[in-house]
Amino acid sequence: MTDIVMEAKNVYKNYGKTEVVKNVSLQIRKGDIKLVFGPSGSGKSTFLRCMAMLTMPDKGEIYLGEECLTKPGVDLNKARARIGFVFQHIYLFRHLTAFGNVELALRQVLKLPKEQARERTLAALKEVKVFDCINKYPAQMSGGQAQRVGIARALARNPDIILLDEPTSALDPELTGEVIDTLRDLANEGTTMLIVSHEMPFAREVAEEMIFYDEGTILETGTPEHFFNAPDSDRAKKFMTRIIYKTTRE
Amino acid sequence: MFEQFQFIPLHYNLILQGLQLTLEITLFGVFLGLAVGIILAVGDLYGNKFTKGILAVYVEFFRGSPLFIQLFLAEYTVPTITHIPIDPYITAFLVFGLNSAAYQKGYIKGAMETVYDDQMAAGLSTGMSRIQTLRHVIIPQALRIVIPSWTNEFCSLTKSSSVVAYVGLFDLVGAGREIIGQTYNVLPVWLFVGLIYLVWITGFTKVMDVIYDKKKIPGVDLLMQ
Repeated sequence: MTDIVMEAKNVYKNYGKTEVVKNVSLQIRKGDIKLVFGPSGSGKSTFLRCMAMLTMPDKGEIYLGEECLTKPGVDLNKARARIGFVFQHIYLFRHLTAFGNVELALRQVLKLPKEQARERTLAALKEVKVFDCINKYPAQMSGGQAQRVGIARALARNPDIILLDEPTSALDPELTGEVIDTLRDLANEGTTMLIVSHEMPFAREVAEEMIFYDEGTILETGTPEHFFNAPDSDRAKKFMTRIIYKTTRE
Repeated sequence: MFEQFQFIPLHYNLILQGLQLTLEITLFGVFLGLAVGIILAVGDLYGNKFTKGILAVYVEFFRGSPLFIQLFLAEYTVPTITHIPIDPYITAFLVFGLNSAAYQKGYIKGAMETVYDDQMAAGLSTGMSRIQTLRHVIIPQALRIVIPSWTNEFCSLTKSSSVVAYVGLFDLVGAGREIIGQTYNVLPVWLFVGLIYLVWITGFTKVMDVIYDKKKIPGVDLLMQ
């Protein structure tokens, strides 16, 4: 019995003639917190979407536990129910309240009875500290609150792993802090996460491994200390220098 | 002047009979049109080339030809070919519904496209299937957006209902004709018939405005600007 929760093996994705994901392989074990970072437009989000099978890879294999999701005939809906996904631009269901956003999949996907779904929804909203938004619609919440509801929606199904696509990039520093606090709590609880983010202080604090991603592929991996002190590649060095300078100024 | 309108108490049965058919045909047509329109919109968004081709022919036929010709074909030509007689009421209900569906498909598809991409991705990410996401996420939002266009469709269909006379049915305009035939009182009769249309359509529109305001998704009007 392996403790690998999710794995990408030699994944490729092209948009037209542009190679967006090139031969990317990655393993995530139970309890891992891995952080993917790199320049904008380098294909990080596409890779994350491929992991969740929201975008179909052209080549390569994606495993969730021992199940190969890229094999024909796999029930992708069932597989996606075991993966929590948090979007960069939040993407809450606009016609539903915070409660409705979290409850919907519990009722429709997990087929929980109403009372059980309600309890789980309330617990998830409490966990990410947006209980006071329970009856608010997405447009009535701040970006930080909405993103935490997005995290609650991903969490409520007790997924095997949560994939987060730049969960703070659309938020101002104050709201970013709210979301980072929530992610820190999840990290302390041992939630398995693959996060695309440029929040370096957060990465240093919670990530076990950082993955530098550029031009559609993984250029370098290592601990946060490795990247903060002495990255191997010139490209990673340059990127870290810029990002640390920017973080210090902020 | 009031004696000009004495036909109202004298012929109120005819007027009510005609009004009843107008309301039945319009309401049935617009709701059947909504149900079929949703199916057509989903087919047009998801279908393969063949499905889309069939849908395009359907829509062009119903939008591109006059309603009375569609009614005429359905009432007289189809039974000749199939040898199955159809009740004119059923013909009228179906033709109005299918005609309205061709228009409503456009409104619904447009509304679905405005919410489609991010909301579909969000739905799939929670483990819902495409059909579940359509049912619980995309269509409920699209229907809210489409209410004003749907109200216009209702007004237009109501005013088109007089074509049922071509298959021998008796609507509000038919009632007006009948009363004029008996009284030779042209202008007052048409003024009264027009007033009934005006009150009915204005009342319905006001109700739909209230429903639209109540069902409006907070913030979505801002997102669509």
